[in-house]
Amino acid sequence: MVSAMTAPPTGARAGVPAPMPAAEADDAADATADAADSADADLIERSRTDPEAFAALFDRYSGMLYRYVSRRLGPEVAEDLVGETFLIAFSRRARYDLSYADARPWLFGIISKLVSRHHRSEAARYRALQRSPVDGHVEGPADRVAAGVTATASRPLLAEALAGLPRRDRDVLLLVAWGDLAYEEVAQALGIPVGTVRSRLNRARRKVRAVLGDTNPMNEEE
Amino acid sequence: MDDLGLLRDLGHDLEHEPPATLVRQRHRLAEAIAGRTGRHRGRGWILIGVAAAVTAALILVPTVLLRGGGKGAEDPLGRSTHRAGATKALNILVLGTDGRGDKFAPRSDTIVLLHLPRDNERISAVSIPRDLMVPLPSCKTRSGEATAARTGLINSAYTVGGLGCSVRAVEKLTDVRIDHAMSIDFTGFKRIVSGMGGVEVVVPRAMRDPKAGLNLSPGRQMIRGDQALAYARARQGLGDGSDLERIKRQQQLMAAMLKRAKEKQMLSPVRLPMFLNMMAGTMETYGQLSVPVMKEIARILERTETDTARFSTIPVRPHPDDPNRLALNEPTARKLLQTFRS
Repeated sequence: MVSAMTAPPTGARAGVPAPMPAAEADDAADATADAADSADADLIERSRTDPEAFAALFDRYSGMLYRYVSRRLGPEVAEDLVGETFLIAFSRRARYDLSYADARPWLFGIISKLVSRHHRSEAARYRALQRSPVDGHVEGPADRVAAGVTATASRPLLAEALAGLPRRDRDVLLLVAWGDLAYEEVAQALGIPVGTVRSRLNRARRKVRAVLGDTNPMNEEE
Repeated sequence: MDDLGLLRDLGHDLEHEPPATLVRQRHRLAEAIAGRTGRHRGRGWILIGVAAAVTAALILVPTVLLRGGGKGAEDPLGRSTHRAGATKALNILVLGTDGRGDKFAPRSDTIVLLHLPRDNERISAVSIPRDLMVPLPSCKTRSGEATAARTGLINSAYTVGGLGCSVRAVEKLTDVRIDHAMSIDFTGFKRIVSGMGGVEVVVPRAMRDPKAGLNLSPGRQMIRGDQALAYARARQGLGDGSDLERIKRQQQLMAAMLKRAKEKQMLSPVRLPMFLNMMAGTMETYGQLSVPVMKEIARILERTETDTARFSTIPVRPHPDDPNRLALNEPTARKLLQTFRS
């Protein structure tokens, strides 16, 4: 079993940074004509003199952040947290380090702090998942169906593992697995050294595997 | 599949697509960008607005009846109000407005369509977002001129032409016949609480929010109008500071209010005329919300469990012409409102 983690994900996975509803994205494109392909850092820099430019970041990333939080806390809270995140980001735009072209780690860092305020309801959500199957689960592509039996059987176990993880470890694990951030980006998001990201991720994955019943030490990461 | 693969799969299953209402958060950001965050009317009022308006409708409507005086009720003109078994389902439009007696024209921040069924079914409440773009009918303004029919925000109907104009706009939008309408304003909420002699809440730990005028010590206690409003709206520095936490607090407060209202209604009908006088000026009604009509509403409410009212929001999508506005999602809205047309 070779680990999938030797190469950190790039973050540019299909569908992830998709802007929110299509109709709105089109409109936003009109409003911020040349914002479409500027780097995030350029937008933030411009927003320091022209605050309106900041709205383009919302169109770019609100959908991504919403999806991420909807996984961790459910749809009811996600909407408010996304709004909150952009208000905080806007008020801190002067302090953004413009040498980071990609603003995703920064936004994920802000939203991680907000998510942590809800750690009790997050744990409760995972515990509820242990007991009930996931709603509205649709058939995936053929390869997922093949693995479907294992995946379905593992779900309550995964939920149990997530509920039991210390908050800091869970943040790292989920920023990697659900937020598609690379190690360096997680480090930037949480303001911790990359080495700490690795050790927290390893510890979290070890616990997940233990709950899944796999104690093979060969799965250990460097 | 390794552990991360399984975890990603789980993530996909748990994920929700961004809803159309996310445009509100964009609007929130746009307001912050434009430096308009300071305005007093906030989202907090929208949340308690729905609850307060519906509570008001559910409490006050049957309460008003008792003005006729207990058994063998008569209306103030002395006519018998007894009508043989003529119960029918009713649709009532309830507006929560932000009028505070200042120079600004009041706006309807909260718009709820309430359906009181004929049989022992559940009450349905559908809230209509205030930033929904709709075809507005021609209405008479407060100064008597008629406005042209146009497309605009649903909540502007109230500002332009009052309760009557809102009724026609919502009827046009939903194709639902509205029997009665009422509106309640910001101070109405406080007066409901005061009129009931306060409500009982259990405060888990000291709550202090000087900005909101809140200062409560821990424990079970009665809180009155201003404190109740501050308690419902407070956000900073309480609980986990989140909206969810606040919504929970508001729901507890509403439950306490309903409980209190039931007690008061049964135990002390003598106090009710006073209560109604206090509410005067914060409420407005439309149509024939007369004593016989209220009697009928009370009969419906007696048979239904107000605790199990079904709350939903009318289906919307982002407006094609304006990212900060909403448009009605017609096919799904039509389906949702089916029960209102029975």
